[in-house]
Amino acid sequence: MSLMSFSTINNRVVSDFSLKDINGKYVALKDYPEAKGFVILFICNHCPFANLYYSRMNELNTKYTKMGVPLLAISSSDTVNFEDDTYGMMQQKAKEEHFNFPFLYDNMQDVARDFNAQKTPHAYVIWKEKGKWIVKYNGAVDDNGAHAELVQHHYLADAIDQLLAGKEVAVNETRSIGCQIGFRNK
Amino acid sequence: MQLKPLFTGILLCLLAISAQAQYNPLHIPDTISGTTFNLNMRDTFVQFRTGNQTITAGINGTFWGPTLIFNQGDSVHMNVHNYLNDTTTLHWHGMHLPAVMDGGPHQTIPTGTVWQPYWKVTNNAATFWYHPHLHMKTEMQLLQGLGGFIIVRDPVEAALALPRTYGVDDIPLALTSRSFDVNNAFTNTSPYGDYMLVNGTMSPQVSLPKQFVRLRLLNVELERGYNFGFSDNRTFWVIGNDGGLLDAPVPLTRTKLLPGERVEILVNLGADAVGSSIDLKAFNSGQPFGFPGSEPGTSGPFGSLLNNVDFNILHINVAAATTGAITTLPTTLVSNTYWTAADATVTRTMNVTQGTPGPGGLPFSLDNTPFVLGTINKTVNLNAIEKWTLTNNNVFGHSFHIHDIEFKIISRSTGPVNSYESGWKDTYYIGVNETVSFVAKFTDYADALHPFMYHCHIAPHEDGGMMGQFVVVDKTSVAQTEIEPGDYTIYPNPANTRLYVTLSDPAMQVYYITITNSIGRTMYMLPRPQLAGGIDISRFAPGNYFMQLTDEATKKVLTKKFVKE
Repeated sequence: MSLMSFSTINNRVVSDFSLKDINGKYVALKDYPEAKGFVILFICNHCPFANLYYSRMNELNTKYTKMGVPLLAISSSDTVNFEDDTYGMMQQKAKEEHFNFPFLYDNMQDVARDFNAQKTPHAYVIWKEKGKWIVKYNGAVDDNGAHAELVQHHYLADAIDQLLAGKEVAVNETRSIGCQIGFRNK
Repeated sequence: MQLKPLFTGILLCLLAISAQAQYNPLHIPDTISGTTFNLNMRDTFVQFRTGNQTITAGINGTFWGPTLIFNQGDSVHMNVHNYLNDTTTLHWHGMHLPAVMDGGPHQTIPTGTVWQPYWKVTNNAATFWYHPHLHMKTEMQLLQGLGGFIIVRDPVEAALALPRTYGVDDIPLALTSRSFDVNNAFTNTSPYGDYMLVNGTMSPQVSLPKQFVRLRLLNVELERGYNFGFSDNRTFWVIGNDGGLLDAPVPLTRTKLLPGERVEILVNLGADAVGSSIDLKAFNSGQPFGFPGSEPGTSGPFGSLLNNVDFNILHINVAAATTGAITTLPTTLVSNTYWTAADATVTRTMNVTQGTPGPGGLPFSLDNTPFVLGTINKTVNLNAIEKWTLTNNNVFGHSFHIHDIEFKIISRSTGPVNSYESGWKDTYYIGVNETVSFVAKFTDYADALHPFMYHCHIAPHEDGGMMGQFVVVDKTSVAQTEIEPGDYTIYPNPANTRLYVTLSDPAMQVYYITITNSIGRTMYMLPRPQLAGGIDISRFAPGNYFMQLTDEATKKVLTKKFVKE
């Protein structure tokens, strides 16, 4: 089992990207000049654990977009093997689940590799510092997938709140739990 | 929303109640009967503990798959769909079938692929199981919960007055244990789990009727052995081993069960009061070193809270008897004719080797030959009766399993062969400083290409290379030295729902068909496909596909392109 090497991710600079959303429009970080940071969430249709988070993602996006931290969801699943994760199925899922955030198609898996995303869901908070995007948090959204009402630790929201307050993120890494992202050989 | 706090309150109350309850209801796996079996392997999750869910993998479910009911004489067809994020295999443990259908390390199922093995059920009525067998990943995939029971029924067993109402007086019990990290994820830092799971249920209890009850026990541990019995030390009777019923019930108060082994027992609850309870327990304290799970530590590489202690397996509450209850113990069961040492024309010996402890130590192997996927270690002639002898003058016990056949244990160097293991076996325990011999006949299925496995069923040992492979060859078949591979055509092309194959020569046989799409995904893997009804391609997306057909006689691969409309 390959465990994520926590120490290599945080405070890393990640590159901007340009990925197609479900409406066919390409979305890049630079399209949001006012953003202080982003929530980047790697999800996919076929993973039942990732499916548990859709309403929480809508809520996070509603709340934090107003504060300059929009949410972008990225599907980096291997679509050669998972028909459920193909572009048409992403469009269908976004419609069915009323996604209020961009759902982006990382067909070549390049963005997931750059972020070192391991699981779906795998959450990141990136923050703009001197014109660069720095990873400030990575790991789980919270500590209960199936029961949002029983969550004890809102790791992701806490990290954003602390960054918005100009503080260091207290818990900047947790273990992302979900389905392993299968990377194709390049 | 106003309802939410109320809902949350109810949920918290329910959780509080369940936290107080000592036991959880035992999960009885669903059954699938008939001759076509659809098995979907997926990543999923289970609420094992308070807090977050545990990521697992399931077959048609979340942890531990359905029980497949086979009738002897039927041809069973499996549609195994791998939706996991990793390649896997599915091995039909104990089934006598062609090697290309066996689901061993060579019959890999890539992600997104349907594998369709089939075979005629010739095994006798007994308890078998299925599980992943991908070399070096068996431990991880078993850990996730992949596997399930197979129950074979036959007329001889059906004629006996034995309990056989599934889930009522005939209960399958898959024994294993798991450890959890702080996030409730499974860990296998040690192969010995801290918490007992039966059919995927933690701290299970079950109501069983006040009569003779049949328990089908299967050890699906990664490593731990069980020395089980009942809390009141009552006598129970072993009626069946891995491969079939014994000649007669064998009374015992304790018996051992190592990874991969099955045993069917009868226990009499007829004298118990309704409402009373007893526990099925592991009496694992005080086992000699070498018995897996006898290690003293509670933490570290081989530590566990369940090591070297007695612990509950299943809490049994006695309920009212059912109509048609079995109330007497049969005096005899079936009439088995076993092979003896005198029948064997080939004798093989093997030794447990390596397994040097400590950092940098070598993993266990057989005859100093760690498993290599491309190396055939032994060749067996079709219909040969062979005696295999394994000697374990090494540091630890093992659970030896061989594919293809059921064998008869004929000798143990440490004493007489135990009466409770006197039946047909495919897996046995070999302790430290012990030599065990069995005799088996290798019938029906010759294939010079796809091998069968023999290995230690302790998953870390198997993954570490304590495994070998043998092919069964038919030397009596006519040598075909100058044979040309046949050819074939596919129609209609383009096709919509079914694709038909026409062979150029009626004598030509198809060994394998693989269908891939234009971006390289394997759609179907069809060992020795039955082609009369065509191949169902209705679920394929429109596009170009490639069929690779392997000719049986020459093993030459012939590729054709077709279009799905």
